[in-house]
Amino acid sequence: MRFALLAALALLVGCGRDNDSDIIVLRVANWSGAGDDSEFERTIQDIYEEFERRHPGVDIRVEGIPDGYVSKVILSFVAGTEPDVMLLDASSAAVFIDNGVLADLMPFIENDTAFALGDFFENVVDIARRGNALFAIPNDFTPMVMYYNKRLFDKADVPYPKPGWTFQDFRATARALTIPGEQYGFSFANWMPGWIMWLWNNDGDVIDSSFPRASGILDSAENVSALEFLHDVIKVDKSAPSLGEVASMGVDLFANGQAAMTVSGHWALIGYTNAPKGSDGKPAITWDDLGVIEMPSQTGSSVTVMYESGYAIGKNSKNKELAWEFIKYFTSYEVQSKYNKSGIAVCARKDVAQERASDPLEAMFLPIIPSARPPHGASVEGYEIVEKVGKNALDSILNNDIPVRVALEKAAKRIDQEFAKR
Amino acid sequence: MLRTALSYGLLLGLAGFLMAPFVWMVFVSLHPSRQPIPTLENIIPQDPQWQNYKTVLFDLNLPVDRFFLNSLFVTFSVVILQLLITSMAAYAFARLRFRGKKPLFAVFLGSMMFAGPVTQIPVYLLLRSFAWLDTYYALIVPGISSAFSIFLLRQFFSQIPYDLDEAARIDGASHFNIYSRIIMPLSKPALATAAAFTFFGVWTDFFGPLIYTNSTDMRTLEVGLSIFKNSYGGSNWPLQMTAAVIVLLPLLLAFLFAQRYFVKGILLGGVK
Amino acid sequence: MHRGEEQRQGWLFVSPAVIHLAVFALIPIGYALYLSLFKWQLLRESQEFIGLQNYAMSLAESPFWNAMWNSGRYAIVSVPAGMIVALAVAILVNQKLRGITVFRTLFYIPAIASGVAISMLWIYVYLPETGMINTILGSFGVQSIDFLNRAEWAMWALVFMSIWTGLGPRMVLFLAGLLSIPQPLYEAAELDGASRWRCFVSITLPMLAPTTLFVLITSTISALQIFTPVYMMTKGQPEDTTDVIGYHIYSEAWVNFNIGLASAKSFLLLIVIAAISLLQFRLMKKPMEDFSTG
Repeated sequence: MRFALLAALALLVGCGRDNDSDIIVLRVANWSGAGDDSEFERTIQDIYEEFERRHPGVDIRVEGIPDGYVSKVILSFVAGTEPDVMLLDASSAAVFIDNGVLADLMPFIENDTAFALGDFFENVVDIARRGNALFAIPNDFTPMVMYYNKRLFDKADVPYPKPGWTFQDFRATARALTIPGEQYGFSFANWMPGWIMWLWNNDGDVIDSSFPRASGILDSAENVSALEFLHDVIKVDKSAPSLGEVASMGVDLFANGQAAMTVSGHWALIGYTNAPKGSDGKPAITWDDLGVIEMPSQTGSSVTVMYESGYAIGKNSKNKELAWEFIKYFTSYEVQSKYNKSGIAVCARKDVAQERASDPLEAMFLPIIPSARPPHGASVEGYEIVEKVGKNALDSILNNDIPVRVALEKAAKRIDQEFAKR
Repeated sequence: MLRTALSYGLLLGLAGFLMAPFVWMVFVSLHPSRQPIPTLENIIPQDPQWQNYKTVLFDLNLPVDRFFLNSLFVTFSVVILQLLITSMAAYAFARLRFRGKKPLFAVFLGSMMFAGPVTQIPVYLLLRSFAWLDTYYALIVPGISSAFSIFLLRQFFSQIPYDLDEAARIDGASHFNIYSRIIMPLSKPALATAAAFTFFGVWTDFFGPLIYTNSTDMRTLEVGLSIFKNSYGGSNWPLQMTAAVIVLLPLLLAFLFAQRYFVKGILLGGVK
Repeated sequence: MHRGEEQRQGWLFVSPAVIHLAVFALIPIGYALYLSLFKWQLLRESQEFIGLQNYAMSLAESPFWNAMWNSGRYAIVSVPAGMIVALAVAILVNQKLRGITVFRTLFYIPAIASGVAISMLWIYVYLPETGMINTILGSFGVQSIDFLNRAEWAMWALVFMSIWTGLGPRMVLFLAGLLSIPQPLYEAAELDGASRWRCFVSITLPMLAPTTLFVLITSTISALQIFTPVYMMTKGQPEDTTDVIGYHIYSEAWVNFNIGLASAKSFLLLIVIAAISLLQFRLMKKPMEDFSTG
């Protein structure tokens, strides 16, 4: 008993909150997870440490929130314990910007001769712009693209996909590359940010963003046929594993060389450089195996979604100047060229992006970028609801055999109900 | 004879059923990180990857050591403060006569019914108005009293013979003296039981730390572990299971150390 | 004089606990009631008084009833099933066998384990194809079932897990009850030639009534408040079939930030819990009294 008391007291002294006034803690929130000790994570760590070296007495503390990022960061603002710097995801930018919890960065930009907004792609910057105010400096962005494994295409003697391909072309290709029990033509993930482009490319959409409403839009005939198409690719052709099969493997099938095509963003390249080794000891996939192509489309002009992240500062941060230094540092040429070598994304800086375009794989992304549009969440507050309900609807269709129309009608009704409550 | 064999058969079967997931977990934790899920034939790792434990403890983005210290500090603080507060209340309920005692006790018992889900919003707002969110106060203060502990300790205190305090009172001892010099020393087993229940309850509490804290440095082991699950999008099971083993192991050791108090405590509190 | 002193001392001793109870239980309940009368989005300043509309809205919306229904069926199945299993195990370990305490300890272990770790473990146990259960079923030729993603399975997967995790405490409680039954009762019955089953029905069960009531009420209350496994394993899916009320209120408050509405829903839950506890108490009290006076 006495021992326990002593132990508790010792701990109380030992790990109270940092009161050391010499150290300034700069809290940076992003959606990184526990990590798996990869090259990319070590690069990021070096970048942080270099900043700490240049600013003695500063301690960067990363708040990694891989699950429920939006609601958890909002909750930290409500609690008054928000991070100084947060990575703002275009998919949920509106809820932070429009509720006035972020600082306007224009004053910093105007007073800082060492920073030029012109270095960045203008349409990317505009995602966080409201009138004359700017709430985030873009860090990186990526269009969602179709990746394909050239080695598997060559082995099956199937020609590589070409721009302008349609859903039917895709379906035939996926079927041709499927070897039952061994290899899938396509690998599919159920999260909505990864499949909304299929709807767009069938001339559908999910909400009317000017007045958040899903009924009549999410459950449109175009969307029903687009999702029926995906359903058939997975359940009828069996060209892609069911969601359960994906879970039972516990790896990314594409990275493992077991699926010939997949849809993802630029960040997937990190996993592909880190691919698990096959039985022959060689990596299951290498950069040379990779091809990138626009999404197949039924409309004649392929579109896709552009995900972007930028750095923002909390309005009530006590370390705004330091936070700005950090943002400037992280979005600088020096850091971005190191950071983007990892394959995480396309750099939002023109200079770095152009430099990297000499890489043939990188060059394949460039023609797709002009057709990429920001997600609804950049302008519609509460868009997370749509993404959550949308994912659940697709799960109903794929896992529980609910007819597409029924699932979408239910989802649209649910979304409208949730928007009405706010 | 047959009956004994049958009983052992049932006991072993049940033990197998209850322990199998744990054994499975340890096996998976020793498989190489980032590899596909092993099938049954390959479940026993050929080349055990003990470095998974080093990776989870030291090499990842999460400060597992900090989570552990947080859990330790919060749990010990709650246990000690709760023992103090609830034993005092239990003393009054067991051995003192005062007006309103019965209804008050009933209110305490009734309050066991609606913890968590009902009070989460107002308690959150209350902690916010104290500026306690994301501090140790938010993790400790809501737990420093418990109707369950009061109930448990009262049961025990009322079984201690009254002539002891009669004698002390004749010698002029105050109630505080009787409480601290007679009742408390005689109640060590009951206090240990209450401490054991509180320890496990607080250590494995998930809901409170989940909403009352938000910075990584304030997370407890339980919430920290939940970050692992969401980090790999349904892959990298070896590292997930490693993290789970790391969280479960200290609990298991603590349980083996404290297990006799559980049985005793349930006997005390439950049936009377 | 003496009485007055004891009076004062009594309140002094309970005061820390009473203050705590007031601040963290009683005032919050009142505050929840107050909040439930407003429309309030947590991020916004404005709180608009809307009377009982949040209650009307809760009772009119299908997700709320769905969540109540899910919690109801979870409790109605998991509580009796868990209790029957626990009683059977208690009878099994209430034998004088060598090493029986080792088994009692082993059987308790799942109950002390962290809910998050257990949930992660059970996601793995329930995985299609490669999970533990499907591997075992597969060796008997049963087709793989994606337990956590099939609407007809997910809830029962959670129930099954809860029997596993809840066994320990319930088993010990029943064991304590069994040990407190006077042995002469059985001896007398045996002399009368009563069968084992007869002894169980007419001695064991009635004598266990108080224990059963206690286990029933505490298990029901905790079953109605289940949260961690749902948060970790299913997020209320598939098809909202595991969206239990604890998780539903959590999402309403901390994901959608509809604080007023969430308060109304939590208050409705409080009423339900109180009513069920009271009902169980009433229903069980009568047979208990009959037995102890009879």
